[in-house]
Amino acid sequence: MAQLLSADLTNRGLVLDPRSKLALMLSIVFFTMGGVGSDIKAVILISKLLGLVPIILLLTAKQWKRALAYGGAYAVLTLVSLELLPVLNGGIKIILTICCIGVLRFMPGLIMGAYILSSTTVSEFIAAFHRMHIPQQITIPLSVMFRFFPTVMEEMQAINSAMKMRDIRLFGKNAGKLIEYRLIPMLVCSVNIGQELSAAALTRGLSNKKKRTNICRIGFHLQDIAAFVTALLPAAVMICNRFGVIA
Amino acid sequence: MKEKLNGKDLINIGIFSAIYFVIVFITAMLGMVPILYPMLTVICPLVGGVVYMLFLTRVKKFGMIWIMSILMGILMLISGMSWYALAIGVFSGLIADLIFKSGNYGSSVKGVVSHAVFSLWIFGNFLLFYLNHDSYMKTREEMVGKEYVDKLNSLLPMWSWVILLAATLIFGLIGGMIGKAMLKKHLSKAGIA
Amino acid sequence: MSSTVISFQNVSFRYTNCESRSLSDVTLDIKKGECVLLCGASGCGKTTVTRLINGLIPHYCEGELSGSVNVCGMDIKTTPIETVSEQVGSIFQNPRSQFFCVDTESEIVFGCENMSLPEEEIRRRLERTVERFALQALQSRSIFELSGGEKQKIACAGVHCMYPDIIVMDEPTSNLDLDAIDGLRNIIAEWKADGKTIVIAEHRLEWLKGLCDRAILLKSGGISLEITGDELFARSKPEMNAIGLRSCADLPDHLDLPCGFFAKDGRGAVGKALHLDNFRYSYRSKTALDIKSLDIPVGSVTAVVGHNGAGKSTFVKCLCGLQKRFKGTVTTDGKKYRPRQMLKICCMVMQDVNHQLFAETVLEEVMLGMETENEEQALDLLKKLDLFELRDRHPMSLSGGQKQRTAIASAILAGKRILIFDEPTSGLDYNSMVQTAKLIGSLDKDITVLIVTHDMELIERCCTHILHIENGRIDEVLL
Repeated sequence: MAQLLSADLTNRGLVLDPRSKLALMLSIVFFTMGGVGSDIKAVILISKLLGLVPIILLLTAKQWKRALAYGGAYAVLTLVSLELLPVLNGGIKIILTICCIGVLRFMPGLIMGAYILSSTTVSEFIAAFHRMHIPQQITIPLSVMFRFFPTVMEEMQAINSAMKMRDIRLFGKNAGKLIEYRLIPMLVCSVNIGQELSAAALTRGLSNKKKRTNICRIGFHLQDIAAFVTALLPAAVMICNRFGVIA
Repeated sequence: MKEKLNGKDLINIGIFSAIYFVIVFITAMLGMVPILYPMLTVICPLVGGVVYMLFLTRVKKFGMIWIMSILMGILMLISGMSWYALAIGVFSGLIADLIFKSGNYGSSVKGVVSHAVFSLWIFGNFLLFYLNHDSYMKTREEMVGKEYVDKLNSLLPMWSWVILLAATLIFGLIGGMIGKAMLKKHLSKAGIA
Repeated sequence: MSSTVISFQNVSFRYTNCESRSLSDVTLDIKKGECVLLCGASGCGKTTVTRLINGLIPHYCEGELSGSVNVCGMDIKTTPIETVSEQVGSIFQNPRSQFFCVDTESEIVFGCENMSLPEEEIRRRLERTVERFALQALQSRSIFELSGGEKQKIACAGVHCMYPDIIVMDEPTSNLDLDAIDGLRNIIAEWKADGKTIVIAEHRLEWLKGLCDRAILLKSGGISLEITGDELFARSKPEMNAIGLRSCADLPDHLDLPCGFFAKDGRGAVGKALHLDNFRYSYRSKTALDIKSLDIPVGSVTAVVGHNGAGKSTFVKCLCGLQKRFKGTVTTDGKKYRPRQMLKICCMVMQDVNHQLFAETVLEEVMLGMETENEEQALDLLKKLDLFELRDRHPMSLSGGQKQRTAIASAILAGKRILIFDEPTSGLDYNSMVQTAKLIGSLDKDITVLIVTHDMELIERCCTHILHIENGRIDEVLL
């Protein structure tokens, strides 16, 4: 979680504009995961291929470990559902089927998510939202949120350590307490840090009255055209089909 | 309402969204076994209630709850969970905001109700299973056979979305009430509520 | 040249939810180019003064304000804070909470982006700032991987980029080690050379010697003394302490001490000891800690000192049993403790005590970890620690010092024999520091205390031994 949107700028391979990434993501959640247009053979085929795009993207971003892990998991699950499930029977088959179908359905989106979160920086993302004319009322809280994730995680860890040292074991006691003991100090500490953070931001002139400049450089390149074509392909095929161009 | 959200408000939205999301996300990880998925509509609103109710003590203008709801949707979209959370969140967040506004941003009953409505973005994540369900399942039939797809459908029948929706709302209410109690018990004494 | 840029006329302020006034009837003029030090005990109102200059009061902190504050010709009451911020830059104490962005470059230009300056102008300023403060090595880095001193440098660069005329700092060094303070000193010297007006609220004063032109001592909301910087630093340690100020004037710099473990008075006390064995730890194939063996006398109070990143926090984490994949052992009273068992005998009092307070009342809190719940014993200890009256209060509603004592009480009752303090006096004024030192000195003789600190005054007052770690090692053991 602490690594969200904090790409290593010096070594991240092929750079796509965040907007291209979003377009691909939308296409994946609609067609590959959402199953839109799955009454058309060509769309099914394309959306299945689209499901593999995130793994390729992870490779272009030099995220070797992630690509291997996700690609491997994807392959194993596909193999299990194609080869193992048909020969199984009974309860185990139901459980495995639910797992495979559920996870396989979510995987392309999750891998794409992993790609976006590991290959983009917060500034790039906010810059992209700027260009898309998404108002500051959304972009400012969004950047604060990404800034604050690692802080919340740090607080969690500190509280976990404290609980270990105090040897607080609540098994047997009220399970609700277990959550309460973690949640309350976490909230108190995070909110306090949050208050200091907003004071600091205000003294640096953050306000909602002026339009902020954004100096982060993003823009479209050749690879973005490829990304957009890929993203639009299933929709295009579907529209063509509706008008009877492709069967 | 006439007053625009200022910098402090926007930062508060971001901070509380981060805390809320981390807590809900960590809880959700506990339910990562696919069979327990539906239970998330119970657990997430329960734990999220405390953060939400604390957030409401900062909400005095229209738009803050709505924006937080949209942020949850954007997070779900870019992390690839689903786009339905955003689609639902845009509306449920607006309604939750209007509910809290109707109590002049001070009524704790309306606060609790608004939490239930706000929690609908969690339910939104499940819509994926229901929309386009038939055609999606058809493509799976070749894999596992019709018999098992039928069994699956009987485990998670089409009408079960009503249960998930009801669970989200009911446990949203309960979560809101627990949150309110926590504010009184701890947080107001700690001077942050 | 010497025109007034900040002027307070009969200013009083009371925070909402606070009974007494934080400032009462303060009149103060600060001239252009002056470097002014605000000092005094905690709660004397120095932070309030800085907040009135940067506009956080009345635009962020709510309360009752009377009198008039004028900064660069702006009336602070009616000028929006974003306008004030273009003239007044602010640096705060907690490097963790003053960042808005996650990478250094965005952070430096954050203020300029808010000013809606054109992109080319911002890039030009960024380039100049990076060059001037030699930040090349910090460019394009994640904020989260920087040290406290580096973060403070980035914060200064961010403020500098906005080209403000006035800079206010609220305890900028309380989380810094001595090297980092030197860095900050250089930056302030540059600003002084630029003719900027600088206002600093601080407890630690030594580093400002030669920088500050005027010192203002505040006492319960009013100005009690106004002298030149040279006059202030000419005062002796007892004179400083008498007016509630800290002074390290006659104390050696702890980083000049030899690297190793030794008794402060030079006499090695031989007796029962904690025997530390194989305290080695590597992080990503980099050695963070490498101490073969070490004997710490039972009942001693040891100061753990060293540069940032020298391995102090790794050392105490290992000792607490919190460090994963750590294999060392501690032997005492003929019993050998492995890391997991060390958790049972060690407890750390964290810098942010809020992390370790869980229960609803103080009494419940201290009894939480007791082997067998014994209320009588708990109440006895509370009396000893001056917490008896507070036993039914919510731990989070206590003051910082009271919270610290509650954490100590719960550790003792849980049967911990080793107490570790992480920077217990960072940001504390003279009197609070003396109290903490007394408290640590009054602990039972069978409790061994380690204090991670760079507070020389605290070491002077309550420590019996010093453990100086550099690069994860100790060179010599003089016992």
